[in-house]
Amino acid sequence: MDLTVAERVEAGRDDFLLVEIERFQGPLDLLLHLIRTQDIEIFDIPIAKITSQFLDAIRGLEATDLDGAGEFLEMAATLIHIKSQMLLPRPGQDEDEDPRAELVRRLLEYEQIREISARMRSAEADRSRRFGKGYVPPRPKRDLFEVPLETTWDEVFEAALTVVMPEPRNRTHRVTTRTVTMEEKAVLILDALKKSTRVEFGKLLLGFKERSHGVMTFLAGLELTRRRMLFLRQTRPFAALWIYRRDDENGSGVEPPGDGDEDHHDEEEGVPG
Amino acid sequence: MNPHQIVEAVLFASDAPLTADEIARADEMLDEDQVEDALQYLRAEYDDAGRSFEVVEVAEGYQVLTRPEYAPYLERFDNVPRPSRLSGPALETLAIIAYRQPIGRIEIEYIRGVGSSGVIRTLQDRRLIDVVGRAEGLGRPLLYGTTTHFLEHFGFKSLEDLPRPEELPIVLRDRTPLGADEDEQARIEEPSVIGDLFEGEPEAAEAGEDQDVADVEGETETAESG
Repeated sequence: MDLTVAERVEAGRDDFLLVEIERFQGPLDLLLHLIRTQDIEIFDIPIAKITSQFLDAIRGLEATDLDGAGEFLEMAATLIHIKSQMLLPRPGQDEDEDPRAELVRRLLEYEQIREISARMRSAEADRSRRFGKGYVPPRPKRDLFEVPLETTWDEVFEAALTVVMPEPRNRTHRVTTRTVTMEEKAVLILDALKKSTRVEFGKLLLGFKERSHGVMTFLAGLELTRRRMLFLRQTRPFAALWIYRRDDENGSGVEPPGDGDEDHHDEEEGVPG
Repeated sequence: MNPHQIVEAVLFASDAPLTADEIARADEMLDEDQVEDALQYLRAEYDDAGRSFEVVEVAEGYQVLTRPEYAPYLERFDNVPRPSRLSGPALETLAIIAYRQPIGRIEIEYIRGVGSSGVIRTLQDRRLIDVVGRAEGLGRPLLYGTTTHFLEHFGFKSLEDLPRPEELPIVLRDRTPLGADEDEQARIEEPSVIGDLFEGEPEAAEAGEDQDVADVEGETETAESG
């Protein structure tokens, strides 16, 4: 149980019933606790008393853990239901129709399961004290650096002499703010698709010189694809990239045209580099 | 070469339990009975010689394992993290599955009173349980059962090794639970199938629960993938 609330019931008459709800694995666990700590005869549960104690205990539950809280609330409802059935006269019904029967069965079964799991835990601990083949890890592999070099120093020196040092070159990196935005490229793509059902990627770059336009247009295309507003099609690597409008009448039926090397060049020209 | 020497060689070379039948494959002369005899011989020999290991019956087979008293020495080599101990909820769920297999998630949740899909997944990841079939009925829910690895993990010879309900301190037999008829009472005394006693769960409650749990699970799965 992963209840985040550690609420305590108000200390009243039943001080020993101070309950941290998060300690319990679930409603059955809590019920058993209430029954066992008070030495209640499980085959004759005082339903009214237990119900009110149960409700007190779960009062602190918050709706934040709906999953866990729901399970406790479900049990509360069951208890209240049983309580109401106990109040009703049961004319002509045989005694074995006790409304508590199913709950008692569940509690006993749960208690038994808990006992069994305790025994399994000790079996697990016993087993973990025995070891079989392969437990002790193998000796670590010899370090790579310990492998003797088969090269002589002369060879290394000779090789070093043949190395030509590269000319130091001045490289300037200019970092500028992004002047081209993805949003404007998205608008550009969508505008183009208003006019026709598809547009070739390179076409969208005509008139723009900087590489950043190509990059942003491509990113905008990916973003719009992610938002399911268009398709991107390319028949094979480096072929022309086609952007397709995505709407109902234009489904996957439209195939991009066969792209040849021509298209390839088109695209290259379209992306100024 | 004696049969027990062959059997010993096979056991020595294996890092997992082997059944007598599997061991017998080592030689045409060997049959299961001879293997059993050889195992008996080896056991006595290891005991007499005070070896640090013994032949242990586990997971319907035999394996040579060190004796527990040597654990302190061997634990020093524990630089490979061993599978950690199971949590309370995991053990509880595993116990239910072990006794009631094949069993579906809804039934497990009814017995525990809490949602269990996460625990079931963990147990499956750790190969302690597996899907063993599908139930009839709506949605044909998956049924789970324990694996050989489960037996190995707990060092059980077989499922018969699980604690029997009548050995437990909880009184299930001395008194007829309210509403239990003679038939059910009889079944309580049946070992190893405590669960059968509780087969007649209210259909309506189960169906409702099913719905809830399914919804919740659907949500968490979407959350995970998103």
